[in-house]
Amino acid sequence: MGKHTVYYEKHLELGAKIVEFGGWDMPVQYTGIIAEHKSVRNSAGLFDVSHMGQVFVSGSDSLGFLQKIVPQDISKLPLNKAVYCQLPKENGGLIDDLIIYRLEDSKYLIIVNASNIEKDYKWFIKNKDKFNVNIENKSDEYAMLALQGPNAYKILKDLSIEEAKQPDFFTIEEISINSIPLYLSRTGYTGEDGFELIVKNEYALKLWDIIFAAGEKYDLKPIGLGARDSLRLEAALMLYGNDLNEDTTPVEAGLKWSIPADKEEDYNGKAVITGQIKYGTDKKLIGFEMTERAIPRHEYEIYYKGAKAGIVTSGGYAPTLDKNIGMGYVSTEYGIGSDSEIQIMVRNKLYNAKVVKRPFVHKNYKKSNQT
Amino acid sequence: MMVPEGILCSKSHEYLLENADGSYTVGLTDYAVEQLGDIVFIELPEIGTNFSKGEVFATVESVKAASEIYMPVSGKITEVNEKLVETPEILNESPFEDGWLIKVEAQDAQADSGDLLEYEDYKEEIE
Repeated sequence: MGKHTVYYEKHLELGAKIVEFGGWDMPVQYTGIIAEHKSVRNSAGLFDVSHMGQVFVSGSDSLGFLQKIVPQDISKLPLNKAVYCQLPKENGGLIDDLIIYRLEDSKYLIIVNASNIEKDYKWFIKNKDKFNVNIENKSDEYAMLALQGPNAYKILKDLSIEEAKQPDFFTIEEISINSIPLYLSRTGYTGEDGFELIVKNEYALKLWDIIFAAGEKYDLKPIGLGARDSLRLEAALMLYGNDLNEDTTPVEAGLKWSIPADKEEDYNGKAVITGQIKYGTDKKLIGFEMTERAIPRHEYEIYYKGAKAGIVTSGGYAPTLDKNIGMGYVSTEYGIGSDSEIQIMVRNKLYNAKVVKRPFVHKNYKKSNQT
Repeated sequence: MMVPEGILCSKSHEYLLENADGSYTVGLTDYAVEQLGDIVFIELPEIGTNFSKGEVFATVESVKAASEIYMPVSGKITEVNEKLVETPEILNESPFEDGWLIKVEAQDAQADSGDLLEYEDYKEEIE
């Protein structure tokens, strides 16, 4: 049996099918993955993501510490802003990917993947070194909900959080909903506009009920991990353990956009990462859609002109597109790029696919409240 | 859901139903399709192929995963449910009727069905 979030009983009451994920017993679906997926794309859905970890970093050397562990330039992160980061080892391979929020001048919140909480915390402590910094893993004290979809902001509005008071994209605010104190950030893992709410366990169940009461008129639905995966795949967002791991660098994973070229400070993996940005990589991530009827899955082989060229890291049926899509790594030696014809080995047979641009669906992020 | 009378079920969730003409229909049980969730792809065998009991003859893919389907008896495929190729969701909606998988000319159904369970016993076994 895995760990349970505060919402476990709630999931059972709602008839969820439970699966083990990263050491947690989580709802994979309530009614059906496709219906849940469409609820999020068309209206709104609420996800229990309490399995994810919250690590607080504070102290006078917080900035220096973070500068050492991520390739991103945290010195440029304004108050209340968030940035998508990776946690490289010296060889550039990734311990995890994360979001860092700047809560105060010298206080940051790091959201880490559920299955990596212990590993990341140990990594933080190992890198603490001479830095004057407090690293607190408060993952067991907080629950986390993701309210996602085009109507998510309307639900918050009906909960008395005016649009003008709602945080912008990749921004976090400390607010109260019906006297419940929480962190509200405009982030998510679906490619839709939406929010993540980080709340102390003691308020978590009440918050769920309040959100569902307000969400009723928008047909708000609880969403399981199954749709979370299909939504993030359509948006071509990375899943640690599939698309990222300790043998993959952020440059290989196509995350170069997130790495500033001009960061002065040294950071773990800097030599490898900046070298790859300059001279290229041996493998790279591609997105593809099947042009023949077959579903690509994690660890299926990718072929190009008769040669084994790589491996699928994520794949599946995309409900929004009604197509089968995937992502994977290929050797750069073949020059595979947009529109290249590739094949995927499915049960010992090759099926045609075509390399396409990522994301597979248009991301409907709300970049600013003013526009 | 109406469960047809006389079906036999395997522990791997296939059912076997004898037809009036002596052939057998093979499909997946209501429990199996409920566990799989939304079915989005079905790969069926070629008509005329022979399979032994226990051999994989089809693959059913839900959004989450691909599952192999095993022959409950040895025999030759005489028909496949072509409708499932275009509309695999029929299997979710009607596993015992419109969502059947194949029809088979069994070699020795009597001997092969020894380890298959009647529906009530199957239900008890999986619960």
